Amino acid sequence: MEYVALALGLALPWALGIAVLAALQWPVGAASASEACALRIGYGYCIGALLLTLWMRGVSAIGLRFGWSSIAAPLAVITVGLCVYAVRRGQLSFTAIPATIRSLLRPELPRWQQLLWTFILSWLALRYALLAAEIAWRPLYPWDAWIQWATKARVWYELGYMAPFVTGDRWLAGAPGAFFDASPNYPATVPLLQVWSCIALGRWDDTVMNWPWLLLLIALVVAVYGALRGEVVRPLPALLGAYLVASLPLLDVHVALAGYADLPMAATYTLAALALYRWALRRDVRDAIVALFLALCGALIKTPGIVWMLTLLPGVIVALLPRRGMRIVGAAFAITALLLLVLARTDTTLLGYPLHLDFQLSWRPLSEGLFLFGNWNLLWYGAIALAFCAWRHLREPKLAPLAVIVAAGLGFLLMVAWFTIASAWLAEQTTFNRATLHLAPLVICLSVLLWHELVQPMTAMAGSAPGPSPDDPSARGGGMPEA
Amino acid sequence: MDPLTPIAAEDASTSAHPPRPFIVGAWALAMSVAVCLLVYLYVTVPGPWLSHAQPVHWDARALSVPRGSAQPNADGLALLAPDASGLTLVAVSTSLRASDYPQIIWETSQVSDGVKATLIWRNDYQPGRIFSRELEIVGGRIAAGQLARDSNWIGNINGLALVLRGTFTPPILVRGVTAKPMTAAEVLFDLVDEWLTFEPWSGTSINNRTGGVEVQEVPLTLLLAFVVGLAATTYVTLTRWRTRWVGPFRPVVIAGMFLVAWFILDVVWQWNLIRQIELTAAQYAGKSWRERHLAAEDGRLFDFIDKVRAALPPPPARVFMIAETNFLRGRGAYHLYPYNVYFDPWQNTVPPASAMRSGDYLVVFQRKGVQYDAAQQRLRWDGAAPVSAELLLVDSGAALFRIR
Repeated sequence: MEYVALALGLALPWALGIAVLAALQWPVGAASASEACALRIGYGYCIGALLLTLWMRGVSAIGLRFGWSSIAAPLAVITVGLCVYAVRRGQLSFTAIPATIRSLLRPELPRWQQLLWTFILSWLALRYALLAAEIAWRPLYPWDAWIQWATKARVWYELGYMAPFVTGDRWLAGAPGAFFDASPNYPATVPLLQVWSCIALGRWDDTVMNWPWLLLLIALVVAVYGALRGEVVRPLPALLGAYLVASLPLLDVHVALAGYADLPMAATYTLAALALYRWALRRDVRDAIVALFLALCGALIKTPGIVWMLTLLPGVIVALLPRRGMRIVGAAFAITALLLLVLARTDTTLLGYPLHLDFQLSWRPLSEGLFLFGNWNLLWYGAIALAFCAWRHLREPKLAPLAVIVAAGLGFLLMVAWFTIASAWLAEQTTFNRATLHLAPLVICLSVLLWHELVQPMTAMAGSAPGPSPDDPSARGGGMPEA
Repeated sequence: MDPLTPIAAEDASTSAHPPRPFIVGAWALAMSVAVCLLVYLYVTVPGPWLSHAQPVHWDARALSVPRGSAQPNADGLALLAPDASGLTLVAVSTSLRASDYPQIIWETSQVSDGVKATLIWRNDYQPGRIFSRELEIVGGRIAAGQLARDSNWIGNINGLALVLRGTFTPPILVRGVTAKPMTAAEVLFDLVDEWLTFEPWSGTSINNRTGGVEVQEVPLTLLLAFVVGLAATTYVTLTRWRTRWVGPFRPVVIAGMFLVAWFILDVVWQWNLIRQIELTAAQYAGKSWRERHLAAEDGRLFDFIDKVRAALPPPPARVFMIAETNFLRGRGAYHLYPYNVYFDPWQNTVPPASAMRSGDYLVVFQRKGVQYDAAQQRLRWDGAAPVSAELLLVDSGAALFRIR
């Protein structure tokens, strides 16, 4: 019975997120039902989980105790209300769900593509089953998970509210009602997700509380598929793009050894960037609302989340200023690089704070982590080769917003690796790899879109191809022959 | 114009042998794999590619330690300390032809960076002499000695030894020594073995995954990237110079090569995951939450903290957690929540007694420097002034005190 309650508890944020998106009539302009379905399912869980944690913050702030009545009941009512609203507006049809799911799982494709499609889904299902087994059996394992994230989860679950965590010296000085762990200032989103899982289960369990990590991975993969389909990528290449995300080894490790905030950060950042990209192409305010919500919440997941979300700004600039945006962003990048070098060479102080940066140019551990070890498969080889072959497309209005976001993200990573204290940990392949994890899914999405832009003219010249499937947006005009 | 013009003749020949880009792409990929492996073998195999010699292995029981101290254990031979001159010598009696065995591998672990390792041997050409070759230490292990190009590695080798210079803690573990013929098949097997070696979860898994053994001759990722690059270049070249045979350039062929290579890496990763799940299942499956924690690496600590929690009043009591290592200190604190725990996450320190109040609790787990006088009920640590404390619980190397 407790596992039924857990399942309902895990489903609640998903249903909430989907209901919110349906009520918002998002996504706008989806060319097919399966595309809209995939986007709602993928974005739905991420948004729902973030809304859940925001609600829990509110519950704690007004002095209520965490529980089914204070969290699940009102959110369930809201979910139902939003669903009713969406149904009345024609944005949600429960009768159409089975057919839509069927078209998502088995689109109409030529036979060999159908076989490949089925094989990929089966392979992914096996992957998820293996990861689920690890989550189900292994107690909380990785270091930071039990020294600075789940510490808060345990205390908040047992006390029923968000008790404050303070630094060691304040705790020793006797801060009343305050607790201590290795990182008392870390944001609350991740522990709150764990708290909710335990509330749903009805007891503390530091294995079960990590199911949201698997759900986040599944949601991210589905959302990536939907986002790629939204940009006229055909079903099989879109699924392959989603498979590339799902099969990133380090991403899978963060599910199997759940409890860190890097996977939630990666999912939120990727979905924020893709929503922003949708807005850049379609200029619908609802895409902007989704992107803005995810960007603001991203800052509540990890402390560097603020910087990650700032890397979205170049994409906004390029989208708003198509002609001059690239030059402005390019100048901003150059000025930032110059500023970093100046700070590394001088001992500037500002308002009493030293601004000196330690410049440590270290290529070897960087290249080992990206190209030699088993973290990213062939991602960085493929991305670099593709960027080299198709760099002109990166500057075109269609891809430029996403390209500058990725460029800003890469710049942030290099800044962390070469100018901050993290450079000392580079050789140990710790912080940098986890920071790269935040950007890697987005790099895959951009690479697939770039490939799509690159091959379109080539495949048009290659000759005829089998007709597109009815679910294929390319059938509505401007479509490309089979790649 | 005669309908059977060269154009028509070309159409006829093309339709008779239609371009098969995917088959060409697959061949390009296979050829690239073969070329890369052949080049690797040419560079790596020190002697004949084929040989009748089989690897010869001596396990720890065949080893002697004429200098230094050692103790056999279940895993092999633990070298405890060098002799007075700072030397440890591990020897084995051998009789093997140098030409048949160009590689000697000492299977070791826990070798500190400050230790210098040297392989020494005798041969029957100059029986009075001892020859030597410095060995590298990589990742806590002694790297294989490659001796094919050593002019003194000739004749019959009738004695091998490993010389270690320097002090070391913890003990160096020697599982044995193997003489390998290094044929082409063996080199390839070793390469594949490196890629497929099981990489279990460890403290660093959340940050980095090697993909096999820690130090690899040729990482599989790098090899596959090179293979795809070579195959793609070959295909593009063929589409340019043999268009009639290969057909026009089709980007999907390149994509297919990339995806095949990616999938190979994914299969290796999935295979590792499956082996990990088997271990996880053996350790944890079918157990309750409490049993899983007792079966975990910190099971003993969890068991003790469980008893501590039973002895403590209901939360929110203040509890100080001290232990020798960061891991035990942090895990102990984690298991104590939601008690109001204090611990030092990064150093083995204890707060001053002035920071503790009457009614606070102190949990000690495997921590030196803590002394308790039961008669006077006085507790002190690290030579500081004693405090009044009541002993509530004691276990092997662990105790719970209430500060008075």
